[in-house]
Amino acid sequence: METAIKTSTIKGKLIFEFETSKLFLFGNTQLRDQAMESFYKQGIPTRNHEEYKYTPISSILKGEFDFSTNKNCTDEQIEPLKFLKEAYNVIIENGIFVEGLSNLENLPKGVTICSLVNAATSNSALFEKHYAQYADIKTDPFIALNTAMTKDGVFIHIAKNVIIEKPIHVIHISTASKSTIIHPRNLIVVDENAQAKIIESFETVDSKAKTFSNAVTEIVVDKHAILDHYKIQDENELGYLMNTTQVIQKKQSVFSTHTFTLSGALVRNNLTLVLDDEHIESHLNGLYITAGNQVVDNHTVVDHRKPNCNSNELYKGIIDGKSTATFNGKIFVRKDAQKTNAFQSNKNILLSEDGTINTKPQLEIYADDVKCSHGTSTGKLDQEKIFYLQARGIGLTNAKKLLMHAFASEVVNTVKIEALCDYIEGKIAKTFE
Amino acid sequence: MLSIKNLHASIDGKEILRGINLEIKAGEVHAIMGPNGSGKSTLSAVLAGRSEYEVTEGEIIYNGINLLELEAEDRAREGIFLAFQYPIEIPGVSNINFLKTAIGEIRAYKGLEPLAAKEFLTLMKEKQKLVEIDKALISRSINEGFSGGEKKRNEIFQMAMLEPKLSILDETDSGLDIDALRIVANGVNKLKSKDNATIVITHYQRLLDYIIPDVVHVLYNGKIVKTGPKELALELEEKGYDFIKEVEEVEA
Amino acid sequence: MNEVLEQKLSTEYKYGFVTDFEADNAPKGLNEDIIRFISAKKKEPEWMLDYRLTAFRHWITMKEPDWAHVSYQKPDFQDIIYYSAPKPKKVLNSLDEVDPELLKTFQKLGISILEQERLTGVESRIALDIIVDSVSVSTTYKETLAEKGIIFCSFGEAIQEHPELVQKYMSSVVPYTDNFYAALNSAVFTDGTFCYIPKGVRCPMELSTYFRIEAAGTGQFERTLIIADEDSYVSYLEGCTAPMRDENQLHAAVVELVAHKDAQIKYSTVQNWYPGDKDGKGGIFNFVTKRGICLEENSKISWTQVETGSAITWKYPSVILKGDNSIGEFYSVALTNNYQQADTGTKMIHIGKNTKSTIISKGISAGYSNNSYRGLVRIGKGADNARNFSQCDSLLMTDQCGAHTFPYIEIKNNTAIVEHEATTSKIGEDQLFYCKQRGIDNEKAIGLIVNGYCKDVLSQLPMEFAVEAQKLLEVSLEGSVG
Repeated sequence: METAIKTSTIKGKLIFEFETSKLFLFGNTQLRDQAMESFYKQGIPTRNHEEYKYTPISSILKGEFDFSTNKNCTDEQIEPLKFLKEAYNVIIENGIFVEGLSNLENLPKGVTICSLVNAATSNSALFEKHYAQYADIKTDPFIALNTAMTKDGVFIHIAKNVIIEKPIHVIHISTASKSTIIHPRNLIVVDENAQAKIIESFETVDSKAKTFSNAVTEIVVDKHAILDHYKIQDENELGYLMNTTQVIQKKQSVFSTHTFTLSGALVRNNLTLVLDDEHIESHLNGLYITAGNQVVDNHTVVDHRKPNCNSNELYKGIIDGKSTATFNGKIFVRKDAQKTNAFQSNKNILLSEDGTINTKPQLEIYADDVKCSHGTSTGKLDQEKIFYLQARGIGLTNAKKLLMHAFASEVVNTVKIEALCDYIEGKIAKTFE
Repeated sequence: MLSIKNLHASIDGKEILRGINLEIKAGEVHAIMGPNGSGKSTLSAVLAGRSEYEVTEGEIIYNGINLLELEAEDRAREGIFLAFQYPIEIPGVSNINFLKTAIGEIRAYKGLEPLAAKEFLTLMKEKQKLVEIDKALISRSINEGFSGGEKKRNEIFQMAMLEPKLSILDETDSGLDIDALRIVANGVNKLKSKDNATIVITHYQRLLDYIIPDVVHVLYNGKIVKTGPKELALELEEKGYDFIKEVEEVEA
Repeated sequence: MNEVLEQKLSTEYKYGFVTDFEADNAPKGLNEDIIRFISAKKKEPEWMLDYRLTAFRHWITMKEPDWAHVSYQKPDFQDIIYYSAPKPKKVLNSLDEVDPELLKTFQKLGISILEQERLTGVESRIALDIIVDSVSVSTTYKETLAEKGIIFCSFGEAIQEHPELVQKYMSSVVPYTDNFYAALNSAVFTDGTFCYIPKGVRCPMELSTYFRIEAAGTGQFERTLIIADEDSYVSYLEGCTAPMRDENQLHAAVVELVAHKDAQIKYSTVQNWYPGDKDGKGGIFNFVTKRGICLEENSKISWTQVETGSAITWKYPSVILKGDNSIGEFYSVALTNNYQQADTGTKMIHIGKNTKSTIISKGISAGYSNNSYRGLVRIGKGADNARNFSQCDSLLMTDQCGAHTFPYIEIKNNTAIVEHEATTSKIGEDQLFYCKQRGIDNEKAIGLIVNGYCKDVLSQLPMEFAVEAQKLLEVSLEGSVG
């Protein structure tokens, strides 16, 4: 690494922090060095960077940041966040797996849930087979940075033929007292013919300062496996989320992911699905409800590499205040991927004059026997519908709420866990108040 | 009901089935398990009459008829039903129209009058309830835009409608989550009777917890290498197919 | 037009007119004399002749277009007879005198209903204009329609009797400068159909024109103009056939539709011109310009076409959505077999606010044929909240045929919602086997699959036409799966 790095810039500070702490971090130091090198080359993207055109990262990363990862949450603070009665709860505080606050008793045989640090040694064969194999440090500076600097995260493994019927709820909490940058890293492996439901929720508890969370999750869905994945992003105005999810699917697997972004100062989701074999089914659903000065940016990539796969994507947004929402969805259909069915839809409602919506659907198709479509729409709430409701005696505010609920329900209804569905419904109702 | 003797079949000159022997009686459920490439799907294709597969040796007698002499559609009309591993989409053709045509053809073959519209609708309602399939799915185009699970459920619905004598379920469990699997298995169980028989082809044991087989066969390298009671499936799951491969190699 | 030119024209008109053409056929070739001959034959007013000559003069400066995905021997425009009126004995007064073969074709097209009902004295649902080799031979139910104020007559008649309407609307949607074939048509068209639906009238029956190319070596250049005035409705059917000939014959029509406020025009075509034999010899060259304008708000134009004929088809029925809230629709099944070539599609030009268009195109290619979809969706700057949905599917029946899709989407307004879906698929062994496994044989299965594939379009056709179109598709595809 070059020596002339200004430690006054955030980039310089990150590199300095890395160099001084890397010997204490788990895993392969060589990989971390390569990742840092790659981050150094890519730098923090500015708005001139096409992929980060609408996410003002560099301005957020101005000022002083701390890199320590303190743990100070109590059971009482955590309890209300465990909103699913029937679930295995995993607590990740400021990027660190906290066994004491988690409930992982009576896990079914064949299910492993532990800290990533732990998995690197206790489950090293599996860890090495999958870790950092899918999230490519060369493609994105934040993947590189996370790979270099991560301290911990959760490791979930469902062994072959095992079904875990109760959902696994991973609760990420930020409790920073000083502005902090953290790099949580998760690895989820669902083996052949296994089935699981995993929920990740993102919350802030008693935060006094900004947290910039640069999380990376790698998910492996092996052949014939079925995984339902949910993200509930509900941090306060001090929460900044940079969330990368990299999924690899094998033959005949079914993967569904649902991203609900309800609050937080900035949320950037990079979701990439690689459909690496035949007869795979993928569902990508998203709902973002923004207000104030929020910035929400969903980037998705569905990469059809082999024939006979199906992908279905639906993202919806309700934008209010001065908030900005971006949807950028790419579908690749590679040359070999004949008989692909790929659908994508992005619909937005703009409630205010000052809100902004950027939507950029992209199809790149290199096979000829495929069925692909994309559609995008942006509009205001339908005045005629509002009037119709008013004419039936429903007040303006309630009429609007009713229509927004109806709009959101198409995504909410894709949630297969009833208790979770109710929870999200409740949350949405609150945001509409 | 079905008697397969020394069946050899190949595709593009490559031999896949190398001497299958199988006897199935009415009222029985047979499971056929085996690793990928063992010939499971080839066997179902040969039984249903896919023309790409060439039968080079052996015979299949079905209810006293030489099955190999029949065209695919006539086999279907004789009561052989294949629930496809990957059900086909036919855009623009509604399930209802498709089934009406199919039932019409099958009845004509048997010299029966076509079903009156009312009778057809009654039958459809009854079967729809039986296999717990969403009404909306039935009125849509065949399998178009269906999820993997919906396609599999639609196969079982078609099976219920066509009332076959011999049903072959080719990896009907793949792509089904546990709830859907229970519903599908339930449907299949309700359709079972002393007069019909079922062949369940699967890679995994899980489905056999719900559709309990009378006999389990293990197919490997185009031959049935082991036959046993339902416990054989569990043993197989535990030890993996490598265990069969080893046995096979020792015997060879 | 400037005065000098006008003077020149009238001078030439005076002296250049050739009267010694006694035959009903014009001699082969095209020059100003031929145009004068046609105009004189039809006893046209001077403004009409002027229009023709202006178009002709423009045409000679133009080049035949070659951007379409078709290849053919360009027609020799001097080797075509531009006017061929039926021989006197063929001038028909009623349908009873129509030759039996023609009637058989009618029956095929489902128009036999007309006859039956006529015999029993019941009012038909279809009024018919028959055009043989560019000349209108019979228009039925004119009187019944006249009671409602509907004008339905041959184009020639309209020029004589409703010159104000013709002058107002002709060329307003497809100017003679539009393209090579439109210019040619404007110069030499011999007849066609004219239709005007007055304010507030819902046309009580289907209006229909039946086109037939009869004589050898002729070109057919008919012109259709349909005007739906405020709050009116009309459904118009067009059927086309030609006998088998082994030379290529040219058909270059112009169709213009004008929909005023709240008016609706539904235009359906079943085109079965002779496609040439199985080796690709002969057949019609079908180079047609069809365009409608939704001139004012809440108007609607829909094109539905089932195309199974012609050696070469070059056709893009389009809609200009000028009025706010206007709607344009295009539903098409184009089937090509043997060596047929089709380059067809549509243009939807959104100008007004809240305009909506739907494009459903289903191409079926068999034999060695080539079938292309070419479509333009343009959302203009002022077209707030415009919406378009396009679906372009191609079905391949063999390995030797081709299917191509050329969508053009131009959006200049960010409130637009444009959706485009395209699929290309081969009629699969898999689909056929799936049907067989359910007891349905090959022939029935192909019928099911093709009709299912075309369902969205066939369902747009009036009942009688839909049944016929379905049969036409089956007949055209007989024995073509490979």
